[in-house]
Amino acid sequence: MTGSTPLLPRRTALLAGMTALAAPAVSRAQGTSAGAPLRLGILTPLTGAGGFDGPRMLKAMQAVGEEINAAGGLLGRRIEFAVEDDQTNPEGAVRAARKLIDVDKVPVIMGTWASAVTAAVAPVCWESKTFLTTVSGADSITQLPHQGYLIRTQPNNHLQAGKHAEFIAGTGAKKVFVMSLQSPFAMPTQNRVREVLAQKGAQMTGALLYEKDKTSYRSEVDQALRTRPDLIYLNGYTPDVTILLRELYRAGFEGPRFAQSYSVTDKALESLPREVTEKVYTVQPSSDVDSPAFEAAKKRLGTGVDSYEAQATDWISLVALTIAKGREATGTALRENVRKIAQGEGTKVYTAVEGLRLLGEGKEINYEGASGPCDFTEIGDIVDCKFRYQIVENGAFRFLKVA
Amino acid sequence: MENYLIAMGVSAGIYALMALGLNVIWGMAGLVNLGLVGFFAVGAYTSALLTTKLGLPILLGVVAGAGMGALVGVLVALITARLRGDYLAIVTLGFAEALRVIASNEVWLTNGTDGISGIPGPFRADLGPVGFNLFFLILVAALVTAVFFAFERLSYSPFGRVLRAIRDDDQVAAVAGKWVIAYKVQAFAIGCAALGLAGALYGHYTSYIAPEIFVPLLTLYIKLSLLAGGVGNNRGAVIGAVLVVAFLESTRFIIPLLPGLSAVQGAALREIIVSGALIVLLRFRTQGLVPEAHSHPLIPRQPGAAAKESPTHA
Amino acid sequence: MLSEIPQLLINGIMAGAILAVPAIGLTAIYAVLRFPNFSLASHATIGAFAGYVANTQLGFSVVPALFCAFLVAGLVGLLSDEFVLKPFRSAGFITTAIGSIALTIALENVVRFIFGNSLNGYDLPMQRDWRFGDLRIGPQQVENLAISVVVMAVVFAFLSFTRTGKAMRAVADNPSLADIKGIDAARIARIVSFAGMGLAGVGGMLIGLDTSIDPLTGFRAMLSVFAAAVVGGLGSIPGAVVGALTVGIGEELSLLFLSPSYRSVIGFLAILLVLILRPRGILGQRAY
Repeated sequence: MTGSTPLLPRRTALLAGMTALAAPAVSRAQGTSAGAPLRLGILTPLTGAGGFDGPRMLKAMQAVGEEINAAGGLLGRRIEFAVEDDQTNPEGAVRAARKLIDVDKVPVIMGTWASAVTAAVAPVCWESKTFLTTVSGADSITQLPHQGYLIRTQPNNHLQAGKHAEFIAGTGAKKVFVMSLQSPFAMPTQNRVREVLAQKGAQMTGALLYEKDKTSYRSEVDQALRTRPDLIYLNGYTPDVTILLRELYRAGFEGPRFAQSYSVTDKALESLPREVTEKVYTVQPSSDVDSPAFEAAKKRLGTGVDSYEAQATDWISLVALTIAKGREATGTALRENVRKIAQGEGTKVYTAVEGLRLLGEGKEINYEGASGPCDFTEIGDIVDCKFRYQIVENGAFRFLKVA
Repeated sequence: MENYLIAMGVSAGIYALMALGLNVIWGMAGLVNLGLVGFFAVGAYTSALLTTKLGLPILLGVVAGAGMGALVGVLVALITARLRGDYLAIVTLGFAEALRVIASNEVWLTNGTDGISGIPGPFRADLGPVGFNLFFLILVAALVTAVFFAFERLSYSPFGRVLRAIRDDDQVAAVAGKWVIAYKVQAFAIGCAALGLAGALYGHYTSYIAPEIFVPLLTLYIKLSLLAGGVGNNRGAVIGAVLVVAFLESTRFIIPLLPGLSAVQGAALREIIVSGALIVLLRFRTQGLVPEAHSHPLIPRQPGAAAKESPTHA
Repeated sequence: MLSEIPQLLINGIMAGAILAVPAIGLTAIYAVLRFPNFSLASHATIGAFAGYVANTQLGFSVVPALFCAFLVAGLVGLLSDEFVLKPFRSAGFITTAIGSIALTIALENVVRFIFGNSLNGYDLPMQRDWRFGDLRIGPQQVENLAISVVVMAVVFAFLSFTRTGKAMRAVADNPSLADIKGIDAARIARIVSFAGMGLAGVGGMLIGLDTSIDPLTGFRAMLSVFAAAVVGGLGSIPGAVVGALTVGIGEELSLLFLSPSYRSVIGFLAILLVLILRPRGILGQRAY
């Protein structure tokens, strides 16, 4: 440190260091040129209450991404995912979304799960003109002033609870009890189920809200059984639904139970004794019986595909196809173009790769997804969809019908 | 990138307000409060409800949020006045959890787990997203500065000296003729007002609040802030909050660099790093980065005493 | 409505008995080390996972698996106290308590890092409940109740009849006097960390036997366990049992007039009520 000369090399080194630090930013700024990877944002719960479901959705998206990359990428570029954990917490999720939008400059964020997280992240997205795809079921989500920057593949409560009730009435159940996890979808589902059951000549004998994160629900089960139901609708997530299934078995309930496929997954079946899950109906939104999209997802993931995996498959497929259609990877382009490939008169396609090929040939397409036809209303809800029903027999799912 | 930094600056400012509030309760008066997030929630809900349901101006909502925070603080302080610190820790933690459950259930008031969306932000529409972000940063920075100077004055006022005396030994303070409970209640009220203010600002910034936001993890972050900066020290509270947000955010950029981790493992590792940092900090820096000034800021301490009080302060 | 009360009482006693085991661990640690150790939650989870590995991978039946849960959770408790929490004690109980919150998050995520987030179930046959008229009681619950009672009996016997147990009570009652009497307080601290967290592990596994386990298993029970220990009087082991039964039964009886979604507020109300009436809990804080 004598004299002034040593300062010079140090300053040069510092400059070089700064340039090196700035380099990724530069290459990202030039990201529109061919060859550079195309970054898409994923924001799923990896820790916290949603930790069961986030990783499955993430894997489903990554699998489709790899398939697209193997087939030559998107707009000649590789798809790369920027993944953040939303911690199932709105405060942490907003910070994570900021990072995805402002640092990674992603045009889309896929994957928010809890309704509170989606409602918190959505304003950040629409203000920054970033597209958001979600499974959150609360009816209030699509009623936010999102200006089109949001689509939801999960049918809203009105649609799905109605169809569920129709199916339940169709099984011959006359007296139904609904046990709902305390959540935004709890009350709307109960109200709609009551209404539709009454129309179909059945009856909702009662309903209750239970708290999440409890280690026992014995008395809740007693409360339900006191009304002597033929069927019990369990409207919650894996951790609580598995406890309820066990306790219903112990309590000697012999009737069928009805649950969303995301709460009774392959993995959940493995963790439960067979007699506990016998005669559990599961439901998920779906396209037609022989949906090639569903089969393709099954093959890609190597397992049964639950509702969340199917929806995650559809987000990335829709996003990739929309970007290819508009030849532009921005949130606004996604908003403008998503309905051009999701619905309409084009050739029906069932996977992203197939759709990209047809778009490359200049054809019009209509993506039909693993979770349904993926046609969206003005406010981003799905127009209509069928539901896929399965029943658990001997520890495995048996396909019943799509209706 | 700038936008991201600005947004994180706002987060840091809100954390700093909470850390300043905590500093009055814990740092100055020595009272335990593990339910910070409950008072934060009270402020957030008060202001959000007044501005969305009654259409009151934002300024009024924010003031009411801080006021309600103080009021609930007084209630909690009165109920728990006779409790020792370890019981107080559990009661305040339970208070915050109970509030969250009530907010989830009383749909008529709080809109339940759906939360309240569309909370107005000052000049949000006029400024556009980037402008609003910047404006809010300036607003929060100004409020942090104001609260900082107010609390500094408080700290060196006779009131602050009594609080510290109570913290160090409340029996001595009582013998000296101080009405200890009244001082404790006031400290709770002042600190909780800052927490309520932070909550109100949070709601108006993000435009959305829901019970799920108010979980104990946030309390831990604020404790971490104050511990990092230095308990008992207002400047430390602000610096600590900035450091915590910077640290929380920087882990996002480090984890993806580690090869061979699944996403869940990466997320788990991130939380391990954050909690590990808190443990290390507690272990080696029990005085924080900026130790509490025991004397008047303008009057230097005796060199020997300073060295003894802050062995880690280089 | 009144006819429901007997069933609710039974459910409450079953739930309370399981809560009592980790609550004893918590309160014993408090009695000797004088801080609320929030890392109890993750130690319960660790015990549940240790028992799970012993049960499903090594083929142990329930009781030997419970021993594994006790040993592993106890060992982790001993090490984490020795290397993480012990240095905090000089800085005061609140610093130690906050350190234990950070520790519990770290340990929860270590479990997540190793086992992932998915639910895991023990390899146990499911049995239907026994019915006595309108009442039902589960064999699994009765077994859990029996295990809890045995564990409690062992703890009380240990405290009453062994030298170490008596020394532990001496340290809890009057550390300086115990010191004068030549009791090695550091050794007692180690034993109580091991045994206390071991009990948390047993409690975690008992909860898991009834349900399924994941990295949040211990966290879910934490508020109730703390409520139990505080209601009974932090530091009092019989108090922990009384408190656990109070909270367990209280949560169930609350269903008579509150929605089940309000359940966890009951623990908090019980704390408030007891502390307002008796600021040191139902049985005060004498260790035994």
